[in-house]
Amino acid sequence: MENQNINLINMKIQEILAEAFQVSPEIITPGLEFGDIPEWDSLGHMEVMMQLEDEFGIEISADTIAELISIPKIAEYIENQRK
Amino acid sequence: MNTTLDRKTTVLEIKPVMSIPEYLTGQVQSKLAYVDEAIVEAQVSSERIMIFLDSQEEIFPERKAKLEEKVQRIVNSMAKGSIKPKIQVLEDHLDRPIPYSKDPTPELIDLNELSKESDGVYTLGPLLTRIIDFFEKQFIDLADSFEAAPYRFPTLIPAKQLEKVNYFKAFPHSLSFVTHLHEDLDLIDEFSQRAFCDENGLVEPDGSFDQVENLLSPAVCYHLYFALADKPLPDGKLAATAVGKCFRYEAINLASIERLWDFTMREVIFVGPKDYVLENREIARQRMEKVFEKIGFAYRVESANDPFFIGEFRKQAAFQSAFQLKYEIRASLPFKNSTLAVGSYNYHQDFFGRHMNITLPDGSPSHTGCVAFGLERIAFAFIAQYGFDKSNWPKEVREVIK
Repeated sequence: MENQNINLINMKIQEILAEAFQVSPEIITPGLEFGDIPEWDSLGHMEVMMQLEDEFGIEISADTIAELISIPKIAEYIENQRK
Repeated sequence: MNTTLDRKTTVLEIKPVMSIPEYLTGQVQSKLAYVDEAIVEAQVSSERIMIFLDSQEEIFPERKAKLEEKVQRIVNSMAKGSIKPKIQVLEDHLDRPIPYSKDPTPELIDLNELSKESDGVYTLGPLLTRIIDFFEKQFIDLADSFEAAPYRFPTLIPAKQLEKVNYFKAFPHSLSFVTHLHEDLDLIDEFSQRAFCDENGLVEPDGSFDQVENLLSPAVCYHLYFALADKPLPDGKLAATAVGKCFRYEAINLASIERLWDFTMREVIFVGPKDYVLENREIARQRMEKVFEKIGFAYRVESANDPFFIGEFRKQAAFQSAFQLKYEIRASLPFKNSTLAVGSYNYHQDFFGRHMNITLPDGSPSHTGCVAFGLERIAFAFIAQYGFDKSNWPKEVREVIK
C-alpha cells in the first residue's frame, strides 16, 4: 500500500514538472534533478514549488526550497508531509 | 482620499488589494517609481500606500484610476504567494565605534567634492577620489591574492548579449539605451539645425535615432562570460578581475549619491566548477573581513536578492534567498540609522555557463560567481562613518591619504 502511494506521488510530481516546464511528460524521468534540463532553472524551480503547494495543500519554506532539487527528494518530502 | 500637500504635490492614498508583508514593503516602494512619470515619491506600509504626484500637470480622474490599477498590479504581482526570505547574517560589525554621525552630503557639496550633473550622475572631487583609490588598492590586493587575471571591459554592451542572459525580462526597468543618428546626411543636417534641450532633456526631429544595438553596461562580470562563451574554459577554472562603469536607471530613487545611475564597480570573478566558485567566494569574504576590521569599518554581511522587476520578482527573489546566492555588504550610515549596500558576494550557479555555453573539461556548464564592490558607495559610507577630520580617521587610511 505504501509503495502504491509513493508511486502515485511520483507520478503526480512528474505531471506537475511536465506542466510547470511545459515539456512532454517523457522528458521527466523518475530521477530528474535541478539543472538536468534547461527548463528546470531558477524560474522553473519556483514554478514547481508553487504548483506543489497548490496540489498537495502544503507550505514550502525558503529552507526547504533549496533541498527539493530532484524528483526523489520532492517525493520523499511530500510523503513525509502527508504522514 | 486625495489631499493637496502643497502647490506642487498631490497625494493619492491607496489601500492595497492585499496586505503587503513587512519584508516586502521596501521592494514594493522601489518599484512604484516606475508606475507613472508623475510620481515624485511613494511611501508603502502593509495596509496603506501613499503616492505623491507632481501636480504641475493636471492629473485627471481617468489617469488616477489607471495609476491605482498599476499600483495594485505591482502589489498583486509581488505579494501574492510571496515566500518570506531567509535572512542569513554572516558578519555583523555594525556596533563598531565610529566617530561621525552627521549627513556628510551638504559638506561634500560645499567642498565641491560632490557636483551633481543630473539625477544619479555626479562628479566626485579629490577627497572622495582618494578614498576610492584607497579602497581600490584593497580590492586589487584581494584580486592578487587569487592571482586573478586583469581585464578591461567596454562600457557598452550589445543588446543581443543581454537578451541571451534574460536581462530584458529580469531588469527592464533599469536599462540604459545607447543610440546614434541614422547614417543619413539629410537627417544629420536636420538634427544639427533643429535639436535643442528643454527642461526634460533633448528634443530631436522624429526618426533621428537608429535602432538600439548597444546599451550601457549594467554589470562588470557579464563581459567576461561573453568573452568565454561557446568554448571550453581553459584549464577548467579562471579567476579574473576588472573595474568598470555600470549603469542602472532607478527613476525617482536616484535621489542622492547613495543611489547612482552611473557608478563604478570593482569585481573579482570566479569561473569553474561549483566547489571552486563557492570556496573562493567564501575565502574572498573572509579576506575582506580582515581588511574591514583593520580600518574599523562598521557593516554587516547578510543574504539579499537582486531588484528583479515585478514579472520575475516573486520567483527569482525567493530562489536567490532559498539557495543563498547573494550576500550584501551593508555599511552603516549613522546619520540615518540605516545601512547601504556597498558590495556583494554572488554565486550564479551554472546560469551563465548554460546561457553562454561556457563548458568545463567534462562538458558540463561552468559555474560562476563574483565579488563586487561599489566604489562611490563605499567612499560615501566611509566619509559618513569617519567624517572630514582626518585625525579621526583610521591610521591605515590616514597614512595613505595625507
